[in-house]
Amino acid sequence: MNSIERIKAASAFAPTDRMPVVPAVLGHAAVLAGVPLRDYLCDGDLLARCQLQALQHYGYDAVFAFMDLYVEAEAVGSVLQYYEHQYPEITDYVIAADGALDGLITPDPHNSGRMPELLRAASVLRKEVGEQTLVIGAVTGPMTLATQLIGMEDGIYLAADDPDRFEQILDFATEIAIHYGIAQLEAGVHLPMIFDPAASSVIVPPRFFAEFLQPRIKRILTAFHQAGALLHWLMITGTIDPILKYCAELGLDILHVDYDVTPARILQDLPRTCVAGNFRPLSFVTSTPEKITAEVHALAKLFATRGGLLLSAGCEIPPEAKAENIAALVAAARSHHG
Amino acid sequence: MRTIIDALLEGDSAASLAAAKQLQQTGISAEQIVNEGLEVAMQQLDDKCTVEGFNLLEIMLVGRAVSAVVNELYPEGGLPDKGRATFVIATLEGDIHDLGKKIVKIVLLGKGYRVIDCGKDCPIETVVSTAQRENASAVLVSGLITSIIPQVRKVRPALLARGLSQVKIVAGGAALKQASTTELNVDFVAETAFDGVRYLEQIAQGVSQ
Repeated sequence: MNSIERIKAASAFAPTDRMPVVPAVLGHAAVLAGVPLRDYLCDGDLLARCQLQALQHYGYDAVFAFMDLYVEAEAVGSVLQYYEHQYPEITDYVIAADGALDGLITPDPHNSGRMPELLRAASVLRKEVGEQTLVIGAVTGPMTLATQLIGMEDGIYLAADDPDRFEQILDFATEIAIHYGIAQLEAGVHLPMIFDPAASSVIVPPRFFAEFLQPRIKRILTAFHQAGALLHWLMITGTIDPILKYCAELGLDILHVDYDVTPARILQDLPRTCVAGNFRPLSFVTSTPEKITAEVHALAKLFATRGGLLLSAGCEIPPEAKAENIAALVAAARSHHG
Repeated sequence: MRTIIDALLEGDSAASLAAAKQLQQTGISAEQIVNEGLEVAMQQLDDKCTVEGFNLLEIMLVGRAVSAVVNELYPEGGLPDKGRATFVIATLEGDIHDLGKKIVKIVLLGKGYRVIDCGKDCPIETVVSTAQRENASAVLVSGLITSIIPQVRKVRPALLARGLSQVKIVAGGAALKQASTTELNVDFVAETAFDGVRYLEQIAQGVSQ
């Protein structure tokens, strides 16, 4: 089996030759290659080169055409501050506290901010790995992007005070995700993952997710499906136990879950949804290869009967992670049948 | 008093404000509204906010309503000092995410504690000098990115260098809550804002763990 066949089989709860492993090595690929994170996040060719080097170094099952969560917000007009060795931050939001969209338009992915660089990275990665390794793109989910356009505090207050206007922002964010994701598919990714950490139950209550976010995520998934996405993949970090039932209704192939979501909860609430996770991201910084290996064995045992598991960290592998810990994850995965 | 408590818990600023004004018109003092209204609402919110029930949206709306009422009751400034414990709170240098910090601050203020906010991207020296100057019982640090952990580990030695061994250190936030007290060199790692506040209340009562 190649990596794509392995991941597709696992997502369908079919047998695999070994356990698939897809650690979200993003900025860590820059650290591994010894290049400043800022350069990695702004240069598509460099990003692709670092991703390919990391793939060769670790031998896992997917590469990521993903810069950071702020690409879309920046393309619309939010202002970022860049750092040499850290992810950028938003310093000015493009939408004022009253939530007025004021003629903002959906950015053209081929001509807006860093989007063209990301598309270049997707194209290079697909050309290099072909149909052997999964090329995962990513779009920022509607809640996260909405709060990056207006700010988290103002967004939350607007959602309470003027839900109609907040929904307009959510719809705008949804359209951006669809356009950007389809452009990524056209450039070469096998699928654009939807990454929406602000949809977590730590941020919004379950009824908010069900009413405002679930339908929009569904709309994005449908658009990606029609555009040829290989799999439907959603990632919401943090606590999501209260919304697992809504996630299960989305028709996902893969739900990426954080360390907060216990294996017992997955087995109970997601009987037919493949999950990616759920290692504590910080473990890759502070733990040891022996402990990581033991954790893989324990997780593999729990999922031995059920299947439907892609080994990964619950969120991004921290850039400063120890290489030997990631290597241990991959080696342990290779020792298990799926 | 039930009306203002319910309005606060609904996160309804306008209704909370109206209820506060009505209570004042009937001769109830600002202090009584704080003690029997705001603090009771915060306690009920605390009880509601288990790990699964905790979400920023509801907390922030309650916080906004509490702030609106406090501003109405004390237009000259914040809540009067009740002699309760003082806490210093900051997001350390290298991290500019401060939403979690704001939430903890809202909850502590609502419970009548004194909170000195050193802001975000804050040097450790500013945190510990503030703790010394303000005679703080604890220093609270919040972090969203894992790369801030080496900074957090330096807080204890900085406090000790000033002879502040009695000052407790509490850490919280998405990145820091993944780590242990040993890894962070702190006294307590909070799962949520309310988890941290419960620990701080124990400190304030002199029964710290």
